[in-house]
Amino acid sequence: MMLDPRITGRIQYAQDQHMPGMLHARILRSPYAHARIVSINTAAVPRDVVCLTRDDVTDLEPLYGPMVKDQPVVARERVLHVGDSVVAVAAPTLREAEAALEAVEVEYEEMTGVFDPVEAAGDSSPVLHESLDYPPDLRPDGRNVCHRFRLQSGLGEDGFAGADVVMEEAFSIAGAAHVPMEPHATLAYWEGGRLHVITGTQTPFNVRRDLAALFRLPEERVRVVVAPMGGSFGAKTFMRLEAVTAALARKSGRPVRAVLTRAEEFVTLNRHPARFRIRLGAKRDGTFVAKSVDAWWDTGAYADCGPSVCTKGGYAAIGPYRIPNVTVDSRCVYTNHPPAGAFRGYAATQGVWASERMTDLMANRLQMDPLELRLQNLLRDGDRFATGEILQDVRFADCLRAAAEMVEWGSDRKNKGLAVMLKGMQTPSRTGVALDIDAGGRVVVRSATTDMGQRPEPTQRALASQALGLPMEDIVVGPNDTDLVPFDTRTTSSRSTFMMSNAIREAAAELRRRIADRLEVASEDLVLDGEGAGVRGTPGRRVALSDLAGLRAEGSFATPGGLDPDTGQGVASSHWHQSAAAAEVTVDSETGVTTIKRLHTSVYAGQVVDRPGAELQNEGSTIFGIGTALLEAIEFADGQVTNGNLSDYEIPSILDVPDFTYDFVEGGQHAHGLGEMAVPVVPAAIGNAVAAAGYRMLDLPMTAERIVDARPAR
Amino acid sequence: MIEEPEWHSPSTLDEAIALKSRLGEAGVVVAGGTFTGILVANGLIKPKAFIHLAKVQGLDGIDVGEELRLGALTTHRRVELSPSIRQSSWSCVADCFGLVASPRIRNQATVGGVLCDADYASDPPTLLVALGARVRLRGRAGEREMQVADFIRDHYQTALGADELLLEVVIPQPPVHVKYVKFLSRSSEDRPCVGVAVAADIDEGGLCRSLRVVVGAVSGRPQEFPEACGVALGERMTIDIANEIGRRYSDLTPTLSDVRGSAAYRRRLIAVLVRRSLEPLAA
Repeated sequence: MMLDPRITGRIQYAQDQHMPGMLHARILRSPYAHARIVSINTAAVPRDVVCLTRDDVTDLEPLYGPMVKDQPVVARERVLHVGDSVVAVAAPTLREAEAALEAVEVEYEEMTGVFDPVEAAGDSSPVLHESLDYPPDLRPDGRNVCHRFRLQSGLGEDGFAGADVVMEEAFSIAGAAHVPMEPHATLAYWEGGRLHVITGTQTPFNVRRDLAALFRLPEERVRVVVAPMGGSFGAKTFMRLEAVTAALARKSGRPVRAVLTRAEEFVTLNRHPARFRIRLGAKRDGTFVAKSVDAWWDTGAYADCGPSVCTKGGYAAIGPYRIPNVTVDSRCVYTNHPPAGAFRGYAATQGVWASERMTDLMANRLQMDPLELRLQNLLRDGDRFATGEILQDVRFADCLRAAAEMVEWGSDRKNKGLAVMLKGMQTPSRTGVALDIDAGGRVVVRSATTDMGQRPEPTQRALASQALGLPMEDIVVGPNDTDLVPFDTRTTSSRSTFMMSNAIREAAAELRRRIADRLEVASEDLVLDGEGAGVRGTPGRRVALSDLAGLRAEGSFATPGGLDPDTGQGVASSHWHQSAAAAEVTVDSETGVTTIKRLHTSVYAGQVVDRPGAELQNEGSTIFGIGTALLEAIEFADGQVTNGNLSDYEIPSILDVPDFTYDFVEGGQHAHGLGEMAVPVVPAAIGNAVAAAGYRMLDLPMTAERIVDARPAR
Repeated sequence: MIEEPEWHSPSTLDEAIALKSRLGEAGVVVAGGTFTGILVANGLIKPKAFIHLAKVQGLDGIDVGEELRLGALTTHRRVELSPSIRQSSWSCVADCFGLVASPRIRNQATVGGVLCDADYASDPPTLLVALGARVRLRGRAGEREMQVADFIRDHYQTALGADELLLEVVIPQPPVHVKYVKFLSRSSEDRPCVGVAVAADIDEGGLCRSLRVVVGAVSGRPQEFPEACGVALGERMTIDIANEIGRRYSDLTPTLSDVRGSAAYRRRLIAVLVRRSLEPLAA
């Protein structure tokens, strides 16, 4: 029996990669949230240690970044957050690298920092980035605001005039750490003028593009090999360690490997802390009339994908409702915190918290059943969302009803809460896949879908198996190497199963045509099975797949779209992720401790491809939601993370996970992504349940102390 | 150029004590390493030398007799699972050690370590104080014993002399009613936000003959206020008395703020948890 290499330990994660003569990298990091670098003295560093400072990268493009080029390889004039990279070293052993860091002297002149997004946008705050080249689709707006996403539909604010009841409330959600078991890890080397990077990343083609731009190389001279990741959850998106590791390898002429420590993880990339002010107007009968969303996202010192987060979180906070008049004003703001970026539940977690708590506050005010209020206003097939899109294949009500039923939603709603959401998929995006027949007669799937623990391999093999009509055993997935796989936007936003299923279907049809051509038959007469290729009605004409070695077919799939950043109109998502949750809790009124009695999530899955994989994804996603709901918050003091270890920052232990249930709403024509659909709805459902128990929760996480300090719900 | 710390693995107690005397402050004693490991990994200490006790014979025994004796190197897990402790009147001790962190930590962390680290956010010291446990220490001048209550002085500070090692913990026969409550404000594997230990003797008539209440994890060392318990002595425990003792502890106990809760939240919890710990005595 083939055991999973994760179980036997044979898997080679990014941090296990090694090469002869390899050096180990360590990074000297800023102790200040904002400071000018007066001087850097590396004279005391031993000669056999390679030391990379700002003077070593003057021939490179000065800045990189996936949306805004704002990040240097190592700090230049200033450091912008505690943990900002100042000097990198590479030495034959990790111990020598550690010791070398202590030999570097850096003199700083501390500057005033800013740690609140609203304050950062104000006139008296320090400017973090003096001059940046923003791409045309971003809307920098005044001081430190790197992107402002606005949406208006219907009458916008004027629409509130038609409401009988208008409620307004503020909500917040803390920053969080991804805590993948394996930290960030990258190995880089240069060979024949070509940069090779073996790294744990969800975004190999973004990394290749950004490395090529940084080192001023054509993209063909950069090769990115994706190692399997021991978890990522969004942490390993876009350029992280790759730039500094490649620069160290360039200077040393040797392979260099960098692996972060747990403490460094907390200053590398986190989830955006966000603040919302929501206004919701309704008729007395519960019909939603108008909604405004005012949001502030703390993206930290570098934008990373923050502009996209503020856009997607902005419209997620509208909720899956028919509301004729909507405004969204969502700002992504630089502060002197460590950078924030993609995080499982991408922006929807923040937006859904604010939106779905608001829905319950309105139900409370109108003295309506929160389920009925939602069902009354939910988007249905053919409805127009606030972005102008007409929605098809809508399952919100199915998900919500399924969840409500599992907590026996009825007249007794004490301690029970619901939440429902819509979440966009990365749009526009495109994906390519190739199918090769190898000498052994197997079909090799060439795909850039990365493995961060979600097991894409059985899914892709099953998809190819279905599309070709071949048994699973005849299909393997090839190495994830930008030299070998067609372009794919990235493995994010729960898009891969959906996108790949379409691309594989196309590639499979093409491969069948090519095989049919080889056999000189029409492709509808081609029979593929475990015995190889044959011709319908002509039993004698058969060839083994190994005789077809070298045949290759490509397929691709693209989703067009995008939103206008000024009006919020356009195509936010080619299709919609849809889910709901229901929770029942008890709260110890004297200690504030919440116990989850029942928790159910219902996720629209379309066609399920790999059921065990789908189930595991949704279970992990639910546990993520519990952590966000009750436990997780990165604490800062003047920009310093004060709980940057796993004793002080707590994720749920398995003992904290209650018995929970879930179901997949199935149907439709496509496989739907489901890797993160429970994350946004679980905190909101638990929050609504805690509110139904008598505690008016507006801020995440709902720690025991916050609950006993909360105002009564009614 | 890299200065590696010295690593000493003495095989006898005398050798270990001699090393500790010689190295003084520079020598850090390692038993299970769960505490020292965190300090070193986070760069909070950079010891010149470690004295690793694992090879020292005779420090890891469990002896259930007139008193319960736990050798300094006995792991939490062994105490937790020991059938002889579980079947004795000291089962509360096994329960308490079983509440610490996760099995992986308990397989490593030692009885001596949790006392000598004197980390405020710990469970066993609180119960050990309530049970009147003593520590036996040995240095160049010989052996001495003292109450755990006197041994732990403040955050990370103990009465251990520069040349002394902790040999064992000696726990007298517990009274009839002993209970340790670990209150967690976050994950199940967290350190305590508040720990409350109650040790009470109730006579045949249902009257309270002695009562010790100790609150841990809220300030530098376990906190006990005998005067606050006076209201119960010679009385039958009632909900009102439980409430009153809880209120007094809440007023008297200095509390700190950390990631598990603010000082104010802890004060509030102390009243609740002390009352709840005493309520079963009123039944």
